[in-house]
Amino acid sequence: MAREPRPPVVPPVVVEGETLRRLREEVREFLAEQIEAGRFTPHVDTWLTRWDRDFTRDLAQRGWLGMVIPTEYGGQGRTYLERFVVTEELLVVGAPVAAHWVAERQIGPSLLRYGTEGQKRHFLPRISRGDIVFGIGMSEPDSGSDLASVRTRAERVDGGWRLSGTKVWTSGAHEADAFFALARSAPLDPAHRHQGLSQFIVDLHASGVEIRPIISMGGDHHFNEVHLDGVLIPDDRVLGAIGEGWQQVTSELGFERSGPERYLSTFQLLAAAAEAMEEGSLPLDPGLGRHVARVAALHQMSFAVSTALEAHADADTAAAAVKVLGTTTEGDIADYVDTLTASGWIEDEELYTLLHAAILQRPGFTLRGGTNEILRGVIARGLGLR
Amino acid sequence: MADLERLAVSTRPDPDLVGMLADLFEAYRSTRPAPTERVEFDPALWAHLDELGLTRLTASESSGGSGASWVEGAALLGLAAAAGAPVPLAEHGVLGAWLLEEAGLPNDGALRTVCRPDPSGRALNVTFARDAAAIVALWEDGDCWRVADVPTERTRLTERRNLAGEPCDTVQFELADLEAAPLVADTVGHQFHLRGALARSAQVCGAMERVLEVVLTHAREREQFGRPIGKFQAIQHLVADIATESSLARAATDTAVARAATTNWQDPGMLFTVGVAKSCVGHAASVVVRNAHQVLGAIGTTLEHELHVLTKPILVRRSEYGSVHEWDETLAELAASAGRDRLWPLILTGRR
Repeated sequence: MAREPRPPVVPPVVVEGETLRRLREEVREFLAEQIEAGRFTPHVDTWLTRWDRDFTRDLAQRGWLGMVIPTEYGGQGRTYLERFVVTEELLVVGAPVAAHWVAERQIGPSLLRYGTEGQKRHFLPRISRGDIVFGIGMSEPDSGSDLASVRTRAERVDGGWRLSGTKVWTSGAHEADAFFALARSAPLDPAHRHQGLSQFIVDLHASGVEIRPIISMGGDHHFNEVHLDGVLIPDDRVLGAIGEGWQQVTSELGFERSGPERYLSTFQLLAAAAEAMEEGSLPLDPGLGRHVARVAALHQMSFAVSTALEAHADADTAAAAVKVLGTTTEGDIADYVDTLTASGWIEDEELYTLLHAAILQRPGFTLRGGTNEILRGVIARGLGLR
Repeated sequence: MADLERLAVSTRPDPDLVGMLADLFEAYRSTRPAPTERVEFDPALWAHLDELGLTRLTASESSGGSGASWVEGAALLGLAAAAGAPVPLAEHGVLGAWLLEEAGLPNDGALRTVCRPDPSGRALNVTFARDAAAIVALWEDGDCWRVADVPTERTRLTERRNLAGEPCDTVQFELADLEAAPLVADTVGHQFHLRGALARSAQVCGAMERVLEVVLTHAREREQFGRPIGKFQAIQHLVADIATESSLARAATDTAVARAATTNWQDPGMLFTVGVAKSCVGHAASVVVRNAHQVLGAIGTTLEHELHVLTKPILVRRSEYGSVHEWDETLAELAASAGRDRLWPLILTGRR
């Protein structure tokens, strides 16, 4: 008898069905109209850098927000695969999707899984309408990759908890209404570092919350420091169980790591470079084919992972693989186009705008959501090396 | 799950067939002789595969084949390549049998290989030509294509070997044998190139997946500084990149195989889709071969070790039916002509 073969690192590819193809056409048509009407200018990395609450509400009206939230909570009751398709179409045209990104990807699913009935009834309809905007508060000044070392404290008080500490790299906190904060609700036990952590739903307009900008190297303001100075969290704003924070934040990582935002952040630049090669303002170069091929294969890989997640299969290793490959590729696209252009050449101003933004955003691609070094470790563990 | 099926269609090969093939090639790998510098055709293995109906797995039943789809065909090619099996499954079963069917020529099942001779009737790099009873030649005759089934004894062979030590001969045909051959449809020439490229991609994927297993075993067993080398992050990262690159190549290849199987190669997007596979496979091969040899250390460079039985054919096959550079150029041309607004539909469907 042969040994039982090890399952593949990434689930087998699947072919998109007719329902999804029609949905793509519908979204694509809407987006073409929006661009035509000058509603937005296609850009790179728009899930972090382009914030437009009106656009978010328009998507909600079309039924493309709260997609995986059940209809009884005001959502669309659709599948992760339908959301995948809508997400891809939004990202490839560089639409302004940052305002709802975190809520659509993480907050909604987490509330569905861990929220109380009251929390679901309160937040999910608002998320689905685009009326409430969420951030996520995980990293801290001394906790980057080592998330279990967070020091924000949650102290038990009458009727709730008081949160004190500092969260950093909170995207859009200055525009957001609330965020999920991971905090230590019991003293650190060095032997069991993942215990004693809890998640709290924090109203960012509450007293004791102070938000300070962190300006990125291009001069833009996307990130923030969020200082929590004894912020009162009522008991009904605890997410899930006290002490279960680590399991809660790590259980949804498959979706966070394997989605299309991990390979499409610079797609507008790639598309503009293809056009420039056709027009002759950039030299036709085989490197374009290489990068296009990788994006095409990443689309298939990411869709395969989403299909596995939809079927509740374990896909942590596969999701890490998508993120390592995808974020490297989207960054390489920026560098690749840069190697084709001459300094000071501004014949195609739009291409330059996209290129410069991509170069400046690039370092973040392989850092956010788990650095590629951490993720290679996750893959190695999945392969049985750790 | 019924709902999921409506959204996404799976095209996995028949699990019973895959299980049988995995056992068969595992048995072959565990009993084959130690690697040698020269790779020779294995007639015993071939006879066994022939008895099981595997040598012409994807050829139609009416022509003496087993009538399986490309999904099964690609699984066979991958598992055989993973075992380093020295048999021309792609040449005989996938390409040769198909060309004979297209030409309406009989197929007696004797060992065949394939090639595309130039206008002077000469073909280079014809794998296992010296072992074949006949050579199926696809010949461009002006603006049409002909397929000839020429007994090897009617050709002049110059024996050569490729990087992997496999028979890879130069074949000189008599022009009269080619000129008299039956005409085939115009599309056959183009499709031959695509089918060859995808068959090679499937073989390289299978071999790269076996490389990952060899590397993992070594990283767990080899100890330095008092612990298995797989415990070091530097090694873990080399291995992780082997896994991710070969997974990307697999996703691209399986996508092309699924599209070929479901549309019987009639989809106009096949050129792009096969190109994506060939490009991803080709670039993955660079990382996989480099990192595997780095992890295995000096022992992996020796003749007695299994690793070169995989890495050398990986490099040979990624460059057949179009170099990596040529396929990247083809994709670049398709992408550029699609332009900014049509690049994404091109990526999804292969069509402009």
